[in-house]
Amino acid sequence: MARPVVPTIATHELPIPEHRDDAWRTLGEAPLSAVEDGYAATGRDVVETVLKNPSIFSSKKAFDVLGSPVPLVPLAFDPPEQTRYRRILQPFFSPRAIKPLEDDLRAQVIDLIEPIIAKGACDFMADLAGVFPVQVFLTLFGLPLDMRDQFVEWKNAVLGLTAAGGATADDAAAQEGMQKAAELFMYLSGLIQKRRGQPGEDVLSQVLNLGPPDAITDEEAIGLCFLFVLAGLDTVMDALGLGMQRLAMDFAKRRELANNLSLVPAATEELLRLDPPAPFLPRVSTGEATLAGVTLPAGTRVTGYLAVANRDPDEFANPYDVDFHRPENRHISFGMGVHRCLGSHLARLEMHLVYEEWHRRVPNYYVTPGTMPKVHWPRGTIGLESLHLTLGEEPAR
Amino acid sequence: MRVAIDSSRCTGHGLCYVHAPTVFTDDDHGYGRVVGDGVVPDGDLDAVRHALANCPEGAISELQ
Repeated sequence: MARPVVPTIATHELPIPEHRDDAWRTLGEAPLSAVEDGYAATGRDVVETVLKNPSIFSSKKAFDVLGSPVPLVPLAFDPPEQTRYRRILQPFFSPRAIKPLEDDLRAQVIDLIEPIIAKGACDFMADLAGVFPVQVFLTLFGLPLDMRDQFVEWKNAVLGLTAAGGATADDAAAQEGMQKAAELFMYLSGLIQKRRGQPGEDVLSQVLNLGPPDAITDEEAIGLCFLFVLAGLDTVMDALGLGMQRLAMDFAKRRELANNLSLVPAATEELLRLDPPAPFLPRVSTGEATLAGVTLPAGTRVTGYLAVANRDPDEFANPYDVDFHRPENRHISFGMGVHRCLGSHLARLEMHLVYEEWHRRVPNYYVTPGTMPKVHWPRGTIGLESLHLTLGEEPAR
Repeated sequence: MRVAIDSSRCTGHGLCYVHAPTVFTDDDHGYGRVVGDGVVPDGDLDAVRHALANCPEGAISELQ
């Protein structure tokens, strides 16, 4: 058999900020590419192999480098430890567990949209996508919504630390980030002390009150809270921002959705397929492994590129088109296998509520002239810095 | 038509019980389960085929 050709791609130079579809197209030319820190798995079958064989492609090894001060339960673990955390947490995030939150969260979304309508314009990221997921977190944890801005500040500091990897952030910013992370850590420690042993309906109280064999330690509980902050807030924010950007720039799709809100679930999936906000899932091989005909030594870093796998032409017809009527949409934006996003049902609910209530009230909007939404890059996640929208019919140009 | 879910493959994406709620349901953990013996009523055939085709893990199979 001929040796497969493995292209080498400098990911830092990809045109992700303004032309991410072009970047994904470049990466999609081969199912496996060499990148700066190892390999990019981009074919859907190859990504599936990586994500469904956690004993060969380890998460624990991959997350060692993140340098989190607390164990990121269960993200940075492999089975069987990971299985235990997963079994404990899953019931709190199942569709039937989150359904009772729907009316409250819908009311919160409407409360965020109303002032935007009054203004006639917004930065969608700052005014809606960035704050709603934080409110959802506070609601789940039984914390007052007026802590929202404090949490946004803490979250940004912690995410800034991990995004920069400690290497590129300037000293003052890094120091401030550490300071804020320490504040969040202290706050969560105190909260855990307060909630343990007390009855409560919120997720944190319920998790803390689990008896043996599921009882978790304070350290595990803090890791869990950090995980919710790291995995649950900016992901939904970025998915919403990127999805709204596509809609704002595509009159036909926007009109189709606004005219038929029953399309919201299908549109949510399609926009998620095109723009997974956490499109890079890192793993490290535990032994020699073969991927797409290439033999990799133990210790090789292989990253699943979900946005590219979601555009695999063998799986999706016209993969670069936005199509709310795909008969099959087996996208893997929530990952697959044992680490499939624990919060996917909650994330879907949040997105459904925003797309539905927004388009019910704001059928027309467009990117504010003179502004250009840009994806921050290079970074471990994909999202817009800002998305300035003007409400109403776009004037003819 | 009769369907079954391979619980060793299902990771709880939850699409089956959204697409075909009369044939699939969720357990306490959000995993998909077949309702009853998995025999699909004629009126639900399209919905179930849709669910089968959309399962990201390929965990649903059609039994003879």
